[in-house]
Amino acid sequence: MPLRGIRTSTAARNGAGAFILQCKRLDFHYCNWAGSSKGMVAFLEKTLPAFARENPQIEIRVSPRPQKHPLIKGIYINGREKPVCVRNLEPHEILKKATLLKEASGEKLKRVKKPVTSLNESVRGIWSPYHGDLRGV
Amino acid sequence: MFSRSALRSLASELRWTAPSTISSVAPLQQRACLHQSASLMSSQQPQSQSASSHPESPLSATPRAQDTQPTTYQGVRASSFDENTMTPQNRAHVPIAKQPVAPTFTSPLKLPHLAGQKPHYVVAQLHARPYLLTEGDHIRLPFLMPNVKAGDILRFNRASALGSRDFTMKGSPTIDERIYECRVRVTGVDAEPLRIKEKTKRRQRHVKQAKSKHRYTLMRVMDVRVKTPDELLAEGAVVVEDSEDSSVIEPRS
Repeated sequence: MPLRGIRTSTAARNGAGAFILQCKRLDFHYCNWAGSSKGMVAFLEKTLPAFARENPQIEIRVSPRPQKHPLIKGIYINGREKPVCVRNLEPHEILKKATLLKEASGEKLKRVKKPVTSLNESVRGIWSPYHGDLRGV
Repeated sequence: MFSRSALRSLASELRWTAPSTISSVAPLQQRACLHQSASLMSSQQPQSQSASSHPESPLSATPRAQDTQPTTYQGVRASSFDENTMTPQNRAHVPIAKQPVAPTFTSPLKLPHLAGQKPHYVVAQLHARPYLLTEGDHIRLPFLMPNVKAGDILRFNRASALGSRDFTMKGSPTIDERIYECRVRVTGVDAEPLRIKEKTKRRQRHVKQAKSKHRYTLMRVMDVRVKTPDELLAEGAVVVEDSEDSSVIEPRS
């Protein structure tokens, strides 16, 4: 018996009904010794509690990573992850990076030219030369 | 809730005292328009001030949409209104000259046909650019919208066209926002991949690299809904005869 994939019955349209933030986890890594983590340590002490309280839907993990630059890593519902190095940044700059990771969709960055993408069929249908009233040329 | 029911009864009295009676909505042979005269506004105002805790906004979105307003507008809500500093919260705050022109229809009225034919599209205007939207569409705006965050619900109230398969309603230039409801939800912020453009000058070896990485707001259309004439009448629309044509419902040829 061949292996069959699971068929999806509906296409995911997050936000059309319920809305789920795509970022599910943020990992904060720091080093206690290195100078490039100075801003990160200040951020973890001062700003992170308020940030975590504002975003209860995001799991937040803080762990040391000795002898390395500080890092924020966002893990998304679609399985991708997005790491951002925050060496030598001030706490308010790190907050900006964390907000960026929070609001990102987790998709790979692509250049999109059309602003609207639709899964629906065309509302007015496709034009046909055989229907409608005849017009003289 | 008192103010809304009181206003509705007031509007129904005005409607019945008006010369044109609206006993049957569907075939509406006379010319119909969303009437909004100065006398109606002035008669509404004392009641809305008496119940100032409920700012009466006839076409505001559902309460679910209202509780996630952008944060900048939260502090604006006040009982006493100053025209110069405040953002208008309901229609009474907007001066008469700046209110949308009430639409008129050539008889027979085809709004029931448009409202009844289900999938609808709307051509919403945002910064003078058209976006053809249907329900569930994904939008990536060509700019980063300020003062919104993921999860906010916006309502697009500038539309140049509204239609279904067989009917199109055109605005001149926009359709009255009270006829339809198009709500979108902000789902996040996206960025484009880093673009590097090499800038060169003549007779110079140096090549400058110009980098750009713009950010864009992502949105999802929650609903595109055309209100039925019954709903419009319940919200205070009045059928008036003999008005100038501004917006015409015309069938697709």
